[in-house]
Amino acid sequence: MRGCYRTYCFVVLIGAALFLGAAMEKGADGPTPYTLSYPAYFGNRINTTQDNLLTVEGIGLGRRLFYEKRLSANNRISCGSCHQQAHAFADDRAFSLGFDQTPTRRNSMSLTNLLWVRHFFWDGRASSLEVQAITPMTDSHEMGQPLDSSVRKLQAVAGYASLFAAAFGSDTITAGRIIKAITQFERTLISDHSPYDGYIRGEYRPTAAELRGIALFFTNNGPNGGVGGDARGIRGAGCGNCHSGPKVFNETYHNNGLDSIPPDNGRSAITGMDYDRGRFRVVTLRNIALTAPYMHDGRFKTLQEVIDHYSEHIRASPTLSPSLKDTANTPVNLRLTSEEKTDLLAFLRMLTDSVFITDPRFADPNDNSKK
Amino acid sequence: MKKIALSLAIVFWASSAWAQAAATVKVVGEVLTPLTLTAADLAAMPRTTASAKDKQGVSHSFSGVAIAEIFNKAGVTAGKQLRGENLAKYLLVTCADGYQVVFSLAELDSSFTDRVAILADQEEGKPLSASTGPFRLIVPGEKKPARNCFQVTTLAIRFAKE
Repeated sequence: MRGCYRTYCFVVLIGAALFLGAAMEKGADGPTPYTLSYPAYFGNRINTTQDNLLTVEGIGLGRRLFYEKRLSANNRISCGSCHQQAHAFADDRAFSLGFDQTPTRRNSMSLTNLLWVRHFFWDGRASSLEVQAITPMTDSHEMGQPLDSSVRKLQAVAGYASLFAAAFGSDTITAGRIIKAITQFERTLISDHSPYDGYIRGEYRPTAAELRGIALFFTNNGPNGGVGGDARGIRGAGCGNCHSGPKVFNETYHNNGLDSIPPDNGRSAITGMDYDRGRFRVVTLRNIALTAPYMHDGRFKTLQEVIDHYSEHIRASPTLSPSLKDTANTPVNLRLTSEEKTDLLAFLRMLTDSVFITDPRFADPNDNSKK
Repeated sequence: MKKIALSLAIVFWASSAWAQAAATVKVVGEVLTPLTLTAADLAAMPRTTASAKDKQGVSHSFSGVAIAEIFNKAGVTAGKQLRGENLAKYLLVTCADGYQVVFSLAELDSSFTDRVAILADQEEGKPLSASTGPFRLIVPGEKKPARNCFQVTTLAIRFAKE
């Protein structure tokens, strides 16, 4: 009996020690788990990692770091310099300028709905957001600063130690934690309040032009690629083949007929495969009206120019997307009427989410007007 | 001179980027022997034919290797083994452009279906076109050609884990 009592005490003590240990490690009020919220029609094929679970404190720190100019070599630019909220976290230049005013090689990509992206950059070379984030921070012509320098600079700033402690349980600032916090913040950049979302939810009544644009955008093009060949006689531009579903996104790579000889090899530089020449990742069209100029090299200044490209200027090449040519391998221009172009534009503008671009949770915390 | 050097550098860069890697199809996941199949490997395996219609409804004849044959070589559960938990396995096909399609293993097994899906490398007796080849999945009898996907790079066998 006495032995039993001893065992009982021992178990209780061990249990208490374990509990206290856990509490101390986590901190009395450890990071608060954050539950992502998004519409069911986006689906749950999301890209998260058990190594970087989202917390309220981690996201808060990540937001501050996203706008932290000390993360660049001369303290002049932050992630938010080339990924501006007003432009759906892209910018308005063909090529962004790095800390040393050197233009980037490709157009700044919008950070909209990254949760559903599995491979990052125009060529898909980074298989996680965590891997992606390191490149612009350390590239010698973007933010231009090794991560250990960023750690040292943040260590010298009052307040960061406690923010890291709140987010990660201890006040140690590491390169890994900087990356984790920034990517936690980026995963929260979900755009789901556009008029098109309102339409899907039955809360917004589209105009006649918008409805025609929706139909034209999502209806398959004809068997030979042209806009008018649908078996039912319904005109379809087939845009939704690549910009699919409510996310207007499908993670695939296509050569969309910009050049006969692509000056930028795109994905083939990563894979070494001939068939990937001139292929780039399909982007989401959410907030597309805010992210001009367009394409990986920013060659089109307006959405009108983009539509004109698919309508009249597709260039033949061996790797041209099968979606843009007929069964005889001839490029197919959509030959849209001017009214159809206007209708497509009306639909594309429905994808602009004014809530997203003014959401104070995503704004620069140093900008008092947006707090 | 500077221009010539620059041109040479560009040509060198372009050609080095074009050092053409050989296309392969990887067979991975719930297999006994992971494979990386080359065109020569497929040519040396038992060959079969299959036909499928294009977007215009015109039928084309393809030849290649039956998926069942590839599964046999890799050690994928088939036939009498395709029972119990193995019925919760699926094939995830990934293509060069990132396109992906799924089949349950039972959809491809001769004890469940008579249709023979193949990994094709020839169409009408010639190598596949540059935009669909070198390896294309052909599944006879499908009403839509959406799973006859182009430029297959990986066949992954997975368990549905829910």
